[in-house]
Amino acid sequence: MSYDYDDDRTLRERIEANPRPALVWLAGLAVLLALELGRVARAIVYIGSLTRGFLGGAAGVPGTVADNVAGSLGGAAGIVGAAITALLLLAVAAVLIKWLFVPVSLVNRLGLDTGEGRDEIIERGLITVALAVVAALVVFTPVGAALEAAIGWLTDALESAGTIQTLTQRDTIPNQGYRTPGGGWEGTFLGLSPAVAWAIRVFVIYAYSFVVAAWLWKGYEVFREHYREADWTPRDDSINRFRTHYWGIFGLAMVFAFVVMAIFAPSLGPVTAEANLYSPYEYEFQYLEGGELQTVTQGDANLASRSQGGSDNVGPLSYDQYDRWHPAGTNQDGKDLFTFLMYGARTSLVIGLTSIGLATAIASALSMITAYYKGLVDVLTVVASDTIISIPAFLLILLLNVLFAEADHPIMDIYNGGFLLALILAGVYWPGLWRSIRGPSLQVASEEWVDAAKSYGQSPGMTMRKHMSPYILTYIMIYASLMLGAVIIVTAALSFLGLGISPPTPEWGRAVSEGRQYISGSSWHISTIPGIMIVFVVTGFNALGDGIRDAIDPESEAGDASADAAATGGGA
Amino acid sequence: MSRWRYFFKRLVLMVPVLFLVMTLIFVALRMGPLDPVAAILGPEGTGGDAQAIRESLGLDQPLWQQYVEFIIGLLTFNFGQSWVIQPGRTVTELVGIYGPRTLWLGFWSILLPLFVGIPLGFYAGLNPNSWGDYVASFGGIVWLAMPNFWLAIMLLAVLRQTAGGAGPLGFDWYTFGPNVESLIGTPPLDFLGTTWGSLGPLPIPTGFDPDLGELLVAIKVILPPALVLGSASMAAELRIGRTAFLETINSNYVETARAKGLSGRVIVWKHVFRNALIPLVPIITNEAILLIGGSVIVETIFGINGLGALFFNAAVQADLPLAGALIFIFTIITIGLNIVQDLLYTILDPRVGYDQQ
Repeated sequence: MSYDYDDDRTLRERIEANPRPALVWLAGLAVLLALELGRVARAIVYIGSLTRGFLGGAAGVPGTVADNVAGSLGGAAGIVGAAITALLLLAVAAVLIKWLFVPVSLVNRLGLDTGEGRDEIIERGLITVALAVVAALVVFTPVGAALEAAIGWLTDALESAGTIQTLTQRDTIPNQGYRTPGGGWEGTFLGLSPAVAWAIRVFVIYAYSFVVAAWLWKGYEVFREHYREADWTPRDDSINRFRTHYWGIFGLAMVFAFVVMAIFAPSLGPVTAEANLYSPYEYEFQYLEGGELQTVTQGDANLASRSQGGSDNVGPLSYDQYDRWHPAGTNQDGKDLFTFLMYGARTSLVIGLTSIGLATAIASALSMITAYYKGLVDVLTVVASDTIISIPAFLLILLLNVLFAEADHPIMDIYNGGFLLALILAGVYWPGLWRSIRGPSLQVASEEWVDAAKSYGQSPGMTMRKHMSPYILTYIMIYASLMLGAVIIVTAALSFLGLGISPPTPEWGRAVSEGRQYISGSSWHISTIPGIMIVFVVTGFNALGDGIRDAIDPESEAGDASADAAATGGGA
Repeated sequence: MSRWRYFFKRLVLMVPVLFLVMTLIFVALRMGPLDPVAAILGPEGTGGDAQAIRESLGLDQPLWQQYVEFIIGLLTFNFGQSWVIQPGRTVTELVGIYGPRTLWLGFWSILLPLFVGIPLGFYAGLNPNSWGDYVASFGGIVWLAMPNFWLAIMLLAVLRQTAGGAGPLGFDWYTFGPNVESLIGTPPLDFLGTTWGSLGPLPIPTGFDPDLGELLVAIKVILPPALVLGSASMAAELRIGRTAFLETINSNYVETARAKGLSGRVIVWKHVFRNALIPLVPIITNEAILLIGGSVIVETIFGINGLGALFFNAAVQADLPLAGALIFIFTIITIGLNIVQDLLYTILDPRVGYDQQ
């Protein structure tokens, strides 16, 4: 428990002084990434194309403004409007870039110190100017073409890297094959049966994910042991408490299993969603019938492998008549239920993370602002949050969702309504989050260190970011975890009612709904298995929330009304 | 701040909240993405019809005038007429028909968990860290994580299996107690045999002719949906009940009572039980709020023609005035319950207002 006050080396200097542990860890990470090089490259290309699309959209905004303004006020006004819009966009980008990428204070470097809290504004102004210069260079000079060429070359390189086979890819351990007349299997991994090949692949995927997670944890430990400034921080105690909190660890394991399902959905299913769920008539496969190989499309085969009770049934852990392996049986259309569930996990996770991420951002920003300034801002936020809380959440979500769906709003097309649902959920759930962290934020706002920062002349934004947010963010994690469970239930409940995520995007609640009429017969699995998965995942998130709470604050009460209400998703 | 001042401050805050809620509903319904006329006519509505409807609904008036009329309508409980589901009938009339079924469901789904969740929670608190405690606590957590819609169809499947005495020990839900033909459906609520007279515009009961058989049928039909709807509250009551019990039993005044030589039974019933009930107050009111959201799903699955099912149909078929009015009524109930909760808290627990800001 020592702290060397004179030691103010940066992390880079610390690593330079003792590079061995860091290099060992990095080498390990490089090996792990190399195993999945293709997947990583594909992810980078995907994120790159998303960013490009976003930047392209943003770059089009000044032009649109120019057209609109010019239409009503004349050409010169249009140019001015475009310039102002472009400057505003650049200023927003500057704030982001300063926050994310510029670790040093330009003001100090350039000796422009004026004090009085104007530093930040000058700082952002400088970055905005730099950005404007870069943007002008890209748009008006040949530099743009050169940049375009460089990006194209990089994309090509990444795309060719993306074709490299990876450890967890389907083709590495294929499970789709056909029976040979001799009694063996052709086309599967080492000639094993599809069931065994599939099980091996699932095992490999989970083993790989576990190793990656463990190695990341190891990285934190290396940092803590060799490179961290302080020997001990209060967070170490929290982590040690969590390590012996078996209920919380159970929750973490459940959440981990769920997240891996979502990330590796294409590899985990016995078939791909594209081939079996979305366009089954465009994909063919071979099977053995009467000693001869036949070819059939997935769609035709699905027609004969439907689970509709009675003798029409392909139950869990069984083969259908085309020797296709179904770990969770088939659904009422003969499609593979396990594949559906894996992609459904992805849908749930994307919606959950988007909505709770947004809600957490709103709630934590507001909680800091209200706790810091109090007064009118506080009252307004109380009224706004009380308003949203007093409307029954599930009804509000349902009504808003229907309004947009009936009007055929273009936003419904993004992710088959998932994006809209995430926005609605974020709008409905931030007040609950804000309320649950209100106590801790008021408490931290009255701490001496915040007072000290104020009297030291630190700007309010900086005080909130540096001195209040670490404390608040750990608290908000508890409730975010509980709310994620609620969001999963609400999303499933909406698709159970035929709203929310529209077909064909898989969603667990829709499987429950579609299997309803067969539940008493032999095809009980269609409704039962997705429901059990929801129970496990939601229990996992609840347990994780409990674990985090006990780790942060061991003396806190074991439960409170708002948290429990949150965890049930408003009665859904 | 004195606790009564705190209570009145909360009460006053409810006024802007109520107005904001009404504004929100107005914005969503009149200025939202869905054109009310298109909602009535469908996308193929012709120009003339659309214009006629627009005029008859007052949609051609300036927006502020529509807003004022809308707010006045809501405040005077004059919600207008249904557009799509039952055109021509007023919303108030519909609520009068559908409301009692939801009340009956809500009554039982508050009552059932009270008599299961709290005793189990106190039992777990009385025997902490025993197997019984673990089973009860773990069961409560899993029970809480079960989505109502899934639980409902599972319960229906299980009960359906018992048809013809196929259940364990020849149990048959259909013939258990009074006979029922079907598991789903609206419970018969005329068991009171009430005859209605009228006193001005208000209907008043003038006579009762209770029918015990009908009552039993009504209870039997409502039990499975009430069990599902109350499931989350049951689990919450169990958890909070356990914690409250443990906290109370370890407090100083219980120690004192023990030192005084009071018997265990007196301590538990007189000193622990009553104080442990205080933290359960918000759970029970919160539960009532949860029931409103849950009633949509449970009523849809169990085929009960209540307010929840009515709201669902109104929303899905874009019957905007009906859906808006129902959501407003539900919000009023929620706000009322919150006030009741604050009031109960103020009376029961003198610490409120000092501790909780």
